[in-house]
Amino acid sequence: MWKQVQDALNQSATAFITKFASLLPGFVALILALLISLLLAWIVGIVVRRLLSRIHFDEWLVRRGLLSVADWSPARSPTLLVSGLIAGAVVVAGLLIGVAAFDSELTSALVRSVFAYVPNVIGAILVLIVGNIAARFLSRSVLIGAVNLNLEYARLLSAGVKWLVNVLAVAMALEHLKIAVGIVELAFGILFGGIVLALALAVGLGSKDLVTKSLERDAGKPSAETIEEPLRHL
Amino acid sequence: MVVDSISQLEKQSVDKMGSADLLLGLLVDLSPDDLARMVNALRALPGSPRIVVLQNRDAAALEPSAADGLPEDSSLSLVPWPAGSSSSPATPVQSVSAAYESIFRTGEKLEVRACCLIASKLEDATLEWVCRLIQPLLEDGFDLVAPCYARRRLEGLLNNSIVGPLTRSLYGKRIQNPMGPDLGVSRKLFQCVLAAQPNNTTAGNGMHLLASLAPLAGCDDIRVCQAYLGSRSYPPVDWTNLSSLLTEILGPVFLAMEKNAPCWQRTRNSIAVTTRNELKLPSSQPTGTVEIDRLISSFQLGLRDLQEIWGLVLPPATLFELRRVSPQEFRIPDELWVKIIYDFALAHRLRTINRAHLLASLTPLYLGWVASYARELENADPAAVHRRLERLSLAYETEKPYLISRWRWPDRFNP
Repeated sequence: MWKQVQDALNQSATAFITKFASLLPGFVALILALLISLLLAWIVGIVVRRLLSRIHFDEWLVRRGLLSVADWSPARSPTLLVSGLIAGAVVVAGLLIGVAAFDSELTSALVRSVFAYVPNVIGAILVLIVGNIAARFLSRSVLIGAVNLNLEYARLLSAGVKWLVNVLAVAMALEHLKIAVGIVELAFGILFGGIVLALALAVGLGSKDLVTKSLERDAGKPSAETIEEPLRHL
Repeated sequence: MVVDSISQLEKQSVDKMGSADLLLGLLVDLSPDDLARMVNALRALPGSPRIVVLQNRDAAALEPSAADGLPEDSSLSLVPWPAGSSSSPATPVQSVSAAYESIFRTGEKLEVRACCLIASKLEDATLEWVCRLIQPLLEDGFDLVAPCYARRRLEGLLNNSIVGPLTRSLYGKRIQNPMGPDLGVSRKLFQCVLAAQPNNTTAGNGMHLLASLAPLAGCDDIRVCQAYLGSRSYPPVDWTNLSSLLTEILGPVFLAMEKNAPCWQRTRNSIAVTTRNELKLPSSQPTGTVEIDRLISSFQLGLRDLQEIWGLVLPPATLFELRRVSPQEFRIPDELWVKIIYDFALAHRLRTINRAHLLASLTPLYLGWVASYARELENADPAAVHRRLERLSLAYETEKPYLISRWRWPDRFNP
């Protein structure tokens, strides 16, 4: 009886050690691949950073009017952003190589599913970028227009528009990523409606005078400004 | 193009004329009496030039009596001309520019020696005022006759504060009204202007024709003079569209500045141009009170809310100076104002932010300058106004090295 138990234990220990021994090279390869890719990423990052600094990449972006890129970047430097992205890509490649050494089937399945999801991610990133640019443009338009109309709540309006567009963009991006679609739709509806209602209340209460003036002008009554103002610009 | 909007009948009548010596384009609605007086004055021009008058008329409101009452004359032809046709560009400045282009193209077709363009109503229109724009072209060989109006304290502010002194400082010719709108232009000059225009000017890059005249006069071999025309009637202010006006006027001026950068960077100091007719100071100043407090509050609002945008355009020292302007003793120094304009011109060139946003964001600053100017000259006589504007023009010239430095080294030179 004791002999049989001992045999069973020996067999399971041998099987475990054999299995572990068969996996060990894969683990070592994974760790090595990771370490090498980290080293490579560090070197590539430095090279790219120096290269971009030498060609004055940040200034070039500013000259091209792509200021918003700087806002997303670490330390407001697009050079750091680009070099970081490239270094990250090298690390991910190293990880995939390491996983392939560990289990090639698992890797191919992982890669297949990752690649199937890539278009969604790219689409979501594009939606976010376009949404951010549109939000900045529209909020700036609203801010300048409202200030030129002498509206005291110009910043509030501008911030409201910016958040509206950003919320819309984030909701669209999450929809693209197929993350909790139902919840996102519901949350977006509530948030969007809330912002519109808040803006409507704030602007409506603050712009009684403006509406009155506008209605007077529409009714054909000449405003006091046109009659009395002696300034002539052109 | 607007010239295409001329009806077939009018096109035929222009074609039938074959050629002429002078083309007069009237963008303003003249009363029959004024038109008759003007035509009589034109007939009295020495040498009896053959003249074609393109008379602005709205098809719906055409008054046949205006032209029909005039005696027949083979040396003068009146052609009704729809300056404000439906195919014209939307904004007033663009439509004036498009109309000028149309007149120049018609002049080219008729092979005229010169074109004269009248776009404003004069308060005391005398018999010979149109001839003042024409005679230097036909008799003395000038290429551009710019108008010189009686300067009143609160009139032509955009021209007096930016366009006029900026043009003078850049191109070195002291032209009071570089963008007219009443102008005399020789064949040589309008051919240059047309050659420099893209096919579809006004809808294209915004580099409109009026803004390209003064740079041509400053940079090319163009003879310029001014003609004193008296007091002009200015259109009333539309406060809701002031930022559009700034965008429409300054956009092309800054574009012309960018295009002619090699020329104006070489130009040092300005020279006076010949002024025909006696330059008179206006006898009266406009009545009515300026709401200076409202202008100051617009400036203050801009200072509070547009910091983020101005911070991209103006150096920290300029922003600091702006913040130091006290609402009680409100005054924007000339040096500060000039640097602001130069910085905006540079930001326009560098596309630091969207160009329409940039120019619209200048509005509170401009209103601040107007407030400062109006307060300073509250009870000033015409001579003091003239001296004040001359001082501003000199400030533009004095600060020109600042512009050149920033233009050449926008990243390095940031005081």
